Amino acid sequence: MITHHPSDPTVAAYAAGTLPEGLALVVATHLVACPHCRSLSYALDSVGGVMLEDLSPAAMAPDALDLALARSERPMPSPSVAPSANPELPPPLDRCSFGPWWRVGAGIRWRPLRIGGSAWAGLLQVAPGRSLPRHGHDGPELTCVLRGAFKDSDGRYTAGDVAEPESEDDHQPWVDGTEPCLCVIASEGMRLRGLLGLAQRLLGR
Amino acid sequence: MSEPAQSNTVDYAALIQAVAAGRDRAAYAALFRHFAPRVKAWMLRAGTADTAAEELAQETLLMVWRKAGLFDPARAGAATWIFTIARNLRVDLLRRETHPSVLLADPSDLPDDPEPADRMLVALERDNRIRAALTTLSPEQAEVVRLAFFQDKPHAEIERDLGIPLGTVKSRLRLAMVRLRGLLGELA
Repeated sequence: MITHHPSDPTVAAYAAGTLPEGLALVVATHLVACPHCRSLSYALDSVGGVMLEDLSPAAMAPDALDLALARSERPMPSPSVAPSANPELPPPLDRCSFGPWWRVGAGIRWRPLRIGGSAWAGLLQVAPGRSLPRHGHDGPELTCVLRGAFKDSDGRYTAGDVAEPESEDDHQPWVDGTEPCLCVIASEGMRLRGLLGLAQRLLGR
Repeated sequence: MSEPAQSNTVDYAALIQAVAAGRDRAAYAALFRHFAPRVKAWMLRAGTADTAAEELAQETLLMVWRKAGLFDPARAGAATWIFTIARNLRVDLLRRETHPSVLLADPSDLPDDPEPADRMLVALERDNRIRAALTTLSPEQAEVVRLAFFQDKPHAEIERDLGIPLGTVKSRLRLAMVRLRGLLGELA
């Protein structure tokens, strides 16, 4: 049962296509699991459609239609079905490209996602009873739980839940239950402390 | 923001289905004439250079031709479907060096939600109600929503452009979204 959702402005930025890649990936992971936010994202797609419909047209090149008709005659490229690189992960993470796992402290493993854009992202696995690395926020940060659960001052997060801390205060969630907690996490400006912070710097992020 | 009324008289969803069913080139030409200049206008507003905007409009309509068979009028109106194609192509363009097409999947990649038997009516109703809702937003809310959709700008930059605090940008977007959510609730 999903109880924590990304904020409406975050879903809006996702629908508009303006969310940095790493953050968009976390939202996409949540959308696959959350019918509530899917219905909002479909509504926002409709907003885009309505706006598109109402725009004053911009003149296309004089031969644009001829070019389009000529292109439509070309054979369709065979659809390239991306192999599922990580079948153990939910979509769309199963199709993503990750680096190796790094052990970054007792009970904490980190696997960076290979992406561009202004945000960084990766998988974080934390052993039961452990705290996630203490960190502050100077940019947006999104975390989606894939397995297990963690708690912070706002409540308990289980599979599909998204944490989107609003404050700039230091934040130190801890793993709840007997299972390790696996999350996908992305941020534009999170400052991690301790070993994971060191790993962050080593990885050039 | 002109010509909204006359465009409603053509059934673009039926044209997409004609392309799907019979590779109907006349239907495709009509779709192209209507949507390519609008997709280009959207790309230009989002800060894309003229040549790239023209090419993205071409690419979008080429995808309409190729993917017409996947168009489901019960899920989305014609303009909404074409908007999602254009948006995804633009996102891909911005991310081409890394791994395109993974993050913003087509809506058809998402699980099918249970919908009532008159699903067709629901998709049309949704577009109509959202159109109506957008006209009832306050000018400030409408401006924030427009900027969010038309410019490749994080909220922090919208804040600078409008000269209002980030908190205000977010709260206006939230209010606009509450209205949209309210309408969706009525549709459920």
